[in-house]
Amino acid sequence: MIQPFTPEPIRFVAEDGTPVQPLPERFTPDLLRELHTLMLRAREFDRKLITLLRQGRTTFYAQSSGMEATQVGLARSIRVGHDWVWPYYRDHTLGLAMGVPMAELLSQCLGTNSDSSRGRQMPHHFAAQAQNFVSISSSIASQVPPAAGNAMAQKYLGVDELTVCTFGDGATSEGDWHAGLNMAGAAKAPAMFVCENNQWAISTSIREQTASETIHIKAKAYGMPGYYVDGNDLVAVMEVCGYVADQIRAGHGPALVECLTYRVGSHSNADADAEKHYRTREEVEEWLGRDPITRVEKLLEHLGHPVSAEERAALIASTHREVDEQVLKAEATGQPDWRIMFEDVYADLPGHLRDQEAFLRAEQTGQAGQGGQA
Amino acid sequence: MTATQERTPTQGGAPDAETGTRTINLIQAVTETIAEEMERDSRVVLFGEDVGARGGVFMATAGLQERFGPRRVFDTPLSEASIVGAAVGMAVRGLRPIAEIQFADYMGPGFDQIISQAAKIRYRSGGQFTAPMVIRTPSGGGVKGGHHHSQSPESYYTHTPGLKVVMPSTPYDAKGLLRSAVRGEDPVIFFEPKRLYRAAKGEVPAHDYVVRFGEAAVRREGTDLSLIGYGGVMPDLEKAADALAAEGVSVEVIDLRSLVPWDKDRVLSSVEKTGRAVLVSEAPRISNFMGEVAYVIQEQVFDSLTAPVGQVAGFDTPYPYVQDKVYLPGPNRIVAACVRALNY
Repeated sequence: MIQPFTPEPIRFVAEDGTPVQPLPERFTPDLLRELHTLMLRAREFDRKLITLLRQGRTTFYAQSSGMEATQVGLARSIRVGHDWVWPYYRDHTLGLAMGVPMAELLSQCLGTNSDSSRGRQMPHHFAAQAQNFVSISSSIASQVPPAAGNAMAQKYLGVDELTVCTFGDGATSEGDWHAGLNMAGAAKAPAMFVCENNQWAISTSIREQTASETIHIKAKAYGMPGYYVDGNDLVAVMEVCGYVADQIRAGHGPALVECLTYRVGSHSNADADAEKHYRTREEVEEWLGRDPITRVEKLLEHLGHPVSAEERAALIASTHREVDEQVLKAEATGQPDWRIMFEDVYADLPGHLRDQEAFLRAEQTGQAGQGGQA
Repeated sequence: MTATQERTPTQGGAPDAETGTRTINLIQAVTETIAEEMERDSRVVLFGEDVGARGGVFMATAGLQERFGPRRVFDTPLSEASIVGAAVGMAVRGLRPIAEIQFADYMGPGFDQIISQAAKIRYRSGGQFTAPMVIRTPSGGGVKGGHHHSQSPESYYTHTPGLKVVMPSTPYDAKGLLRSAVRGEDPVIFFEPKRLYRAAKGEVPAHDYVVRFGEAAVRREGTDLSLIGYGGVMPDLEKAADALAAEGVSVEVIDLRSLVPWDKDRVLSSVEKTGRAVLVSEAPRISNFMGEVAYVIQEQVFDSLTAPVGQVAGFDTPYPYVQDKVYLPGPNRIVAACVRALNY
């Protein structure tokens, strides 16, 4: 049994890689290596996407470097394709760890014809039906009330499913966040709300965000347990999220999990030089010292199964190769044409959109006459 | 007594022995249709503030919780963001939610959910996820409700691609449009003109029928002027047309019924026939949906016009409490606009 509302974040592995409490049996070296691979690949994905940005091949990217333990650990508590996920816009590591194909992520970031959301959203806002990974919205916390509704529907339908809803610390200030948690609490819906508290909402620190000491204690107000986890400790995140998911599936109602972590990079390419403007190099250095990937490597070393430098280098190289290959493949599919603007607005194309489509068709084919948009 | 204080549930009309039609009022049409759709499809759920045991502040959902149980008809926390947002999530997961917002004026806290989630999830996911859902809400003035119980905010929603926006003015249309809304695949904002809830009575057939969106109704045919409106103002259009008929003017009265999509063809062919159009709604004038109708008329049938398109709208003030009736367009103001067009 894992206790909610602990004063300190729940932790299984110290920063130097030594367990601070007995390691659950399932964390075999093989599993840890598998998860380490996922985390490392996600980080290299970040690096490659920054390169793509610099090359002008995509226009926006929100890194998750530093948050890999939170997202990979959470992914492992989700029954992929069975449970439902309402993510936020920094969740590509969660998506990758849930098996969303890298090709799909890249296609979305590049806005190519292979993008399942068809080039309509800005980069890094993907959706994946096969994984029940619902489309990401830019508007902060707007996914929270729908996640509550998704969970209410699961309860209504009597299905054995869980809804997972993620958000950053900034989202917890939004009205939608409170509305969603309150609704889920009142309905006792099977929803797991996960705050990826990376401590900065662009340039606003958690201390400016709320006078509340922590995020997880807000759960009390909504009649649900709140769990406080070291979000850079993969084992802790997996253990707590796994336990919470089981509790919810057993019919105990929703819960809030706060994963205390840190985004070591900028918010996006919009603030590429974060240290210069709103946080100190010392703070970043301090958190780099708590790096979640390094911690797993130290744990593996402690267990007598170290990841060699060669293995690491090979993993990095293969990720870079895969990204390069997938980017070329995605780019080869071309950009969606203008027709995608009019599709999927409604189930069927209404008359006014038919007229506007005809206008644009004429314009695009050089046959536009005089007058307005039909 | 204000409309919000009315507590008596509506009584059903007895069916005509030969035709099977019954005369009911608009709110009863709403209640019946929800019940019939819930009967037809177990995925349909109904929720909002006070919709359960109380049956809604206007009694639009009276008796439904008793009939379908608290699992399918339930009260929610007092939060429009929750109600709309939860409807989106339910729809994405496969239910057919009907969400009631107690007054259209209260949709503000749910606005983000309507425009960011409900309206866009199909588009932004490339059709991978969709939100077929209905938001029902009483709107418009004439019930001495002041500005937070009388506004006509439809233009906020007609301005958002991805939403369908409808407003019936008769029991027949309320049934037909609501059936279309519940059975459709898109999010629908279903405005109910609250001053017509009990004032608008009419026949409804016993059989299942729908009124498709984007088909206006010609309430009466005429040759001199097209008088076009929707929702709560429709009885005033009829009164104005009666007054003008007494003066020998033949007015064609058109009820748009749905704004997105709207029946451009019906409107344009009418104006081509009559050469004059007066557009009526009670929403404030600036960015009023009828501005779009006027624009399309002048753009597409300019040569048919023998007078500028007239518009009668609400004033660009918050809705006043005491001067309720002065604010609303009313038959006199409508007649005056028609006379201006006729004498141009």
